[in-house]
Amino acid sequence: MDPDAVAKAFVEHYYSTFDTNRVSLANLYQDNSMLTFEGQKIQGTQNIVAKLTSLPFQRCKHVITTVDCQPSAPTGGGMVVFVSGNLQLADEQHALKFSQMFHLMPTPQGSFYVLNDIFRLNYA
Amino acid sequence: MEEQVENVGRSFVDHYYHLFDTDRASFSTLYQSHSMMTFEGHKVLGVDQISAKLNQLPFDQCRHVISTIDSQPSSSAGGIMVFVSGSLQLSGEEHLLRFSQMFHLVPTPQGSFFVQNDIFRLNYG
Repeated sequence: MDPDAVAKAFVEHYYSTFDTNRVSLANLYQDNSMLTFEGQKIQGTQNIVAKLTSLPFQRCKHVITTVDCQPSAPTGGGMVVFVSGNLQLADEQHALKFSQMFHLMPTPQGSFYVLNDIFRLNYA
Repeated sequence: MEEQVENVGRSFVDHYYHLFDTDRASFSTLYQSHSMMTFEGHKVLGVDQISAKLNQLPFDQCRHVISTIDSQPSSSAGGIMVFVSGSLQLSGEEHLLRFSQMFHLVPTPQGSFFVQNDIFRLNYG
């Protein structure tokens, strides 16, 4: 399958899960996964999901502007994905701009999990 | 271990943008033949093409000012993911451009790192 198409499909799935069923993000991480969220470092599925489900907003919507991807090594099937977009929080007038990078690793079942995840808001 | 990763990330970022701002022709030392760069959506493969692309950017002088650097180990083989945000001042331009960039650094046998993956995006207001 075309790597760009795989990256795009993953990104759509990730943000749709984030926006509608945040607790299910647990399926996309494993124990060795790492998240850096606005400079705060978190490791492992449980801690990552705890962080993401405790963010100070109930509802949000990610609107993706750009998705760039590359294989992370000549072999192994890993991919780096670099995303930029807007984050609309319910009840907030202005959308927040953000950038995020994922390092995806293949699973034996033929899908991907997030090994590395770094999120930053882009302030004006 | 965590601090080491942070230190490598920070040192690399300082070195990278210093080279970019003062000696762009030396970039060939940071990439290898299978390195990949995506610059504003444009994909470039290999050190020669990457150097050519960076040397052809439509400005002579620039200055990067870094706001944030986040690093994580990318695998057990010693690779490091580095995520950078900052501003780019082009000589002759009044307004700063804001950008985000990610690097995947892979260790060399000599004990340093080269850039396996490089993705750059401007952050429009």
